[in-house]
Amino acid sequence: MEMMLYFHAMGLRRKDLSFLQSGKAVEDNVNDVMGDYSEEDDSESVSESESDQEDVKLAEPSKTAIYNREGLVEKCEDISWPENVGWMHKLSLDVDQEKEVDVNDDLARELAFFTQALEGTRAAFDKFQSMGLPFLRPPDYYAEMVKTDAHMQKVKGKLLAQKRQIEESEERRKARDAKRIAKEVQAEKLKERAKQKKQEIEEVKKWRKQRQQSGFKDGKDGMPDLGFENGKAFERSSKKRPGVSRGDRSGGKAKQGGGKSNNKNKKNREFRNSKFGFGGRKGMKKQNTAEMTNDVLAFNKSNAAGNRKRKR
Amino acid sequence: MGKKRKHSETQTAEPRKKDEGAPERPKRTLMGWKDKDEVNQQTESSPDSPQVFRNKEKVMVTCSRRINYRYRHLMLNMVSLLPHCKKDNKVESRSSKGATLNELIELRGCSSALFFECRKHQDLYMWMARCPNGPSVKFLVNAVHTMEELKLTGNHLKGSRPLLTFSSNFEKDAHWKLLKEMIIQIFGTPKEHRKSKPYHDHVFVFSIVDDHIWFRNYQKSVPHNESDKMVRGLDKMTLVEVGPRFCLNPIKIFAGSFGGPTLYENPFYVSPNQIRALEKRKKAGKYAKKVKAKTRRKMHEQSNPLEPDEFADMWRE
Repeated sequence: MEMMLYFHAMGLRRKDLSFLQSGKAVEDNVNDVMGDYSEEDDSESVSESESDQEDVKLAEPSKTAIYNREGLVEKCEDISWPENVGWMHKLSLDVDQEKEVDVNDDLARELAFFTQALEGTRAAFDKFQSMGLPFLRPPDYYAEMVKTDAHMQKVKGKLLAQKRQIEESEERRKARDAKRIAKEVQAEKLKERAKQKKQEIEEVKKWRKQRQQSGFKDGKDGMPDLGFENGKAFERSSKKRPGVSRGDRSGGKAKQGGGKSNNKNKKNREFRNSKFGFGGRKGMKKQNTAEMTNDVLAFNKSNAAGNRKRKR
Repeated sequence: MGKKRKHSETQTAEPRKKDEGAPERPKRTLMGWKDKDEVNQQTESSPDSPQVFRNKEKVMVTCSRRINYRYRHLMLNMVSLLPHCKKDNKVESRSSKGATLNELIELRGCSSALFFECRKHQDLYMWMARCPNGPSVKFLVNAVHTMEELKLTGNHLKGSRPLLTFSSNFEKDAHWKLLKEMIIQIFGTPKEHRKSKPYHDHVFVFSIVDDHIWFRNYQKSVPHNESDKMVRGLDKMTLVEVGPRFCLNPIKIFAGSFGGPTLYENPFYVSPNQIRALEKRKKAGKYAKKVKAKTRRKMHEQSNPLEPDEFADMWRE
């Protein structure tokens, strides 16, 4: 009766309950030990918990559930194989499960299944060892597998794709970090240079003011202390900018006078020149020299072709 | 039924030892006299030894009409996992289900059946039954993942005998013990079955969590560096998941095959129809509740008027 009230509270109608009670109607001659079961499971306290298989349990066990213990035991004995059947026929193992696993925690649940399988396998392996029978599949045994080769290819493809994705994302992240760091370093360097420049200008100004204040006296102390006397020679920066000829196309970065590699570079250059032609010296086409500026007459003559393009 | 192959001891009439429901099968073991009461019997020489046991289990696997694609694939996976099964055509209606199915099983000469019934294209019920007069169980199947999913990467020999592992709480109660016995008989491949392959390279896991039976199928994989040593890196053995995954919720256990008196009923079982009905009912009152809440608020406001606000005129032009 309590079940009826309970379901009424949940708003169900009577005919929905009929399937739950059908068992009672059918069985006549089987001992009904209903009370036996209900006292066992009253300790269940699962309120409407959504286990992850979208399945709702009753808040309290339905009181009219049938549990025919003797019938069950009898049937079990009926169907079971005779007692002295060897283990080899059954191949069943019982694995101890120490602690309760929470159903909704996927990882823990799968881990529990995994460890159960592993322990079972170990125990079976020991048994097989003692009986001297082969256990695992030798690597050269080829037979029909339960998944086709085509399917396994797909699986492999997917695994590789996943791995590649991971690697790519790693690389992208590293590249982003490196870029950020490089930018910071560059900003630092620029700041340094600007500071240095400002400092030097300040010093010159100071010196000028000093000189002004002390009335333009000429003496050795007047010169600003630029560090010439310190013994440090004028240090050339390591970038090889000066000393490049005007027509040089290498941008000043070609090594000047490197002994060993010079011949190789020359050979390389000659090869390239022969293949693609010499590019010409850089920037010697037009020059603003003294001769040209004085040569007003030559202007009109020499640039006759260009004059056509000017607006008339 | 089974043709006798190499082990051609002609067994004419198998004598019945005990008065059991199941037909008596002669026992036989590979090792000769392993069992207690056969010490004085030569099993190989005697043509009519009653002690030879042969597992002649045959399982018939069928489904109902209007089954979902996912569940059909699950059924096909089961067919490939059990070499001792026979797949049959779809069965039609549910009215005379028990009788029809029993007839079919007899016709095919099988001793057990796995019947997948799909209702409303949504819920899958699985029946495990033992044919002549054995018990039958009805389960609700959840959380189905078939073998075709690309995340399940293992593979094993088709037809190799599985190792069945059960969690220890199968011994806790009578109905679990009965289920365990049925599972061993149905899911365990018979030993010298025609289609069975040697070596045992996969494991079935049946474990009871939250009153549901969870099924997993793992492949045992060992790194192939050392070859042919028996103790070959057993510590390095890992398991890769192969097979279908599902979770069974037992609903009822009947004493007969697909019918008969009920032996067990799951007190916590709520049918999926009921769950859906409950949810719909919860949602049904949403609008009505909202309207009621509004009127309630209005009444409340009317009955408890607010005091005039000091700062109400502050920004009035």
